[in-house]
Amino acid sequence: MIELKNVSKFFGENHAVKNVSFKLETGMIGCIIGTSGCGKTTTLKMINRLIEPSSGEVLVDGMAARDEDPINWRRKIGYVIQKAGLLPHLTIKENISILAKIKNRKPEYIDERVQELMKVVDLPFEEISNRYPKELSGGQQQRVGIARALMENPPVMLMDEPFGALDPITRNSMHDEFYNLNQKLGKTILIVTHDMNEAFKLADKVILMNHGEIVQMGTQKDFTEKPANEFVRSFLAEHLNA
Amino acid sequence: MRKSKFIMSVFFIILTSSTTLAKSADKVKIGSKIFGESMLISEMVAQLLEINHGLQVERKLGLGGTKVVFDALTTGGIDIYPEYTGTGYIMILKEDGLRDSKRVFARVQEQFNQKFQLEWSQPLGFNNTYTVAVRRNDKKFKNIENLSQLSDKDLNFKFASAHEFMERQDGFNSLIKAYRLRFPPSNITSMQAGLMYSAIKNESVDMIMAYSTDGRIGAFNLKTLKDDLMFFPPYEVALLASKNSLKKFPALKAVMKTLAGEISETEMIEMNDQVDRLKRNIPLVAKNFLIGKGLIDGDVQTFEEESLISFFKNRLPYLKKLFIEHMLLSLGALFMACLISIPLGILLTRKEHLTKFIFPIVNTIQTIPSIALLGFMIPLLGIGYLPALIALFLYSLLPLLRNTYEGIKGVDHNYIEASRGMGLSSFQILRYVEIPLALPVMLAGLRTAAVIVIGTATLAAMVGAGGFGDPIFKGVATVNTRLIFLGAIPAALLAILVDKILGIFEKIIVSPGLRDN
Ligand SMILES: Nc1ncnc2c1ncn2[C@@H]1O[C@H](COP(=O)(O)OP(=O)(O)OP(=O)(O)O)[C@@H](O)[C@H]1O
Ligand SMILES: [Mg+2]
Repeated sequence: MIELKNVSKFFGENHAVKNVSFKLETGMIGCIIGTSGCGKTTTLKMINRLIEPSSGEVLVDGMAARDEDPINWRRKIGYVIQKAGLLPHLTIKENISILAKIKNRKPEYIDERVQELMKVVDLPFEEISNRYPKELSGGQQQRVGIARALMENPPVMLMDEPFGALDPITRNSMHDEFYNLNQKLGKTILIVTHDMNEAFKLADKVILMNHGEIVQMGTQKDFTEKPANEFVRSFLAEHLNA
Repeated sequence: MRKSKFIMSVFFIILTSSTTLAKSADKVKIGSKIFGESMLISEMVAQLLEINHGLQVERKLGLGGTKVVFDALTTGGIDIYPEYTGTGYIMILKEDGLRDSKRVFARVQEQFNQKFQLEWSQPLGFNNTYTVAVRRNDKKFKNIENLSQLSDKDLNFKFASAHEFMERQDGFNSLIKAYRLRFPPSNITSMQAGLMYSAIKNESVDMIMAYSTDGRIGAFNLKTLKDDLMFFPPYEVALLASKNSLKKFPALKAVMKTLAGEISETEMIEMNDQVDRLKRNIPLVAKNFLIGKGLIDGDVQTFEEESLISFFKNRLPYLKKLFIEHMLLSLGALFMACLISIPLGILLTRKEHLTKFIFPIVNTIQTIPSIALLGFMIPLLGIGYLPALIALFLYSLLPLLRNTYEGIKGVDHNYIEASRGMGLSSFQILRYVEIPLALPVMLAGLRTAAVIVIGTATLAAMVGAGGFGDPIFKGVATVNTRLIFLGAIPAALLAILVDKILGIFEKIIVSPGLRDN
């Protein structure tokens, strides 16, 4: 479960995130959507404390972020970013297992777990585990990014435009796979996206932001049937294509 | 320096006096100063004693400077050595004023006898003093034999001397005053002693300040102008022996007589050239001379010109020593520079404000010419390994520091953010992400530094730290091209080799994921 209570962030004078509150139940997928610069990434980073909130409270599974050591806190939260952020000097296997290795897990365990995860994200272990990121396609890299976030089996995952860099066809098939995958894994996942279709397809709860504020929150049905205001209506009109 | 010489001579005295008592009591011990001419004359004495008198001889050639050798003589460490009358008069007796060679000789003879119980032989025949030298075939000096013939004239030709002679109180300035020589100031240069001879040879200068028995006077067809006003004291060489030794080995007296007046200036110049410039074997040069003079019996041996390859081959032990010195200097400097630059470079990426102070300092060091930097080290650290090491270290700082800093700074922020998001600590990010990603740039810095250091280390010979610069400097001084090659070729090869090795090293330690192909 992820919960934000009146969270705000100032970058100097710039009030990037304003009094944001929402709750994402365990096992749910949430999507934050909104125009560029509206504070989506900032909101996400405040959850894993890459950015510290100016005020308000962040809770994950009932525990307050600010009471924990930030490094331990982040290790409990899977983090996937656009273009995967894979480390170019490490092989696929090393990328997936870097944190496990730092935590001194046994090589046999690492081997087994990497193999298992690559199967989960549908990557051929034998073929690519010893390759380097530059030798993989964008879609494959994104899968590696997801496998890496899953390595230490975190209960919560944050994903910042995870499918943003993919071509529409790959993106579509990834959506389906990812949806099915989470049916099995049952993680609490918060995704930042630009893509309204993606949000409606994946999310149990869609959070629409504008100028650092939440404008409307709910299911696809809530949005299409009861748009909160004119901004929501025009945003849908602009971003929903059939 | 003076202190270490003192310690050395004390050490020497203890060493020799203890061995004297032991078994070498019946050997004649012959000393010399540490340069070719002195060693040659001592070798002649040794051969005369061995061949003509059947005595056993212990050669202690090249002991050191005047003080060391003289102390050895007065304390019985050696029995005999060649000394210069001028040196005895000015350095040992600490007198001055006399210039006439006969009177100087008479004075040292009398004083050494009284003060030190030492006896001089008659002078051997040549005078090795400062002298003005010109090209023999230079028309400007066709009818000039005495320096005073140039007095009160406008001298429109170029003059060069060693730096040391320009600086000395009784050097250049006193000389031109004494002879009333009128040089335009722009025509006067000072240079490294060895270069002076090549300069006059290739006509970049017309007149130099030389030593009158330097081998290059003959080899380069120079003529010396007579110091007819007797500005310089005479430096006639003669054999100096203790009275005790003369009593013990009467043959010494005979040899002193035999050699008196036997060596002319021309002959000494020729022999010095063979030893200093052509690197011929001293015993052989001495022997050929004695045979040629009919002082001993035997066959004159000819010297085969060594081919360049055998020139190198015959000096392998020397090359090995140079290599070790060169490597110890270069690797030592690089190691220290890595130890400082890498942590400092990383620190600078964390504390940007420090770059404003650190980089200008390190940049400035880099702009100091290497010779000057080495020069600065001498008053601070003396001569030898340490000052050279520090200078080279300072030189290799910049490429390493800059590349470490740039390399770490250049790491894409996304990788760092992704790693932070995974829960890596700052140190873990540095260790597992930033350094491996910066490695190609850092290694490029190391390669640059290595090439700079190995090249610059050839200058270390200037401060007595050895290395491949040693034969280069000697070669320049004696205009011996092969000697220059002996240092220059291995130094260049070493730089290339180290660069290649680091290239391979880079292939091994830089991740294949970072190579572009
Ligand atoms: N580190 C920072 N320092 C200062 N201002 C920042 C910083 N990060 C973000 N901002 C500002 O905060 C605002 C919100 O940025 P944020 O990255 O959260 O937007 P976003 O919704 O993720 O946009 P996009 O869709 O373009 O990724 C922007 O005005 C941005 O300029
Ligand atoms: Mg963003």
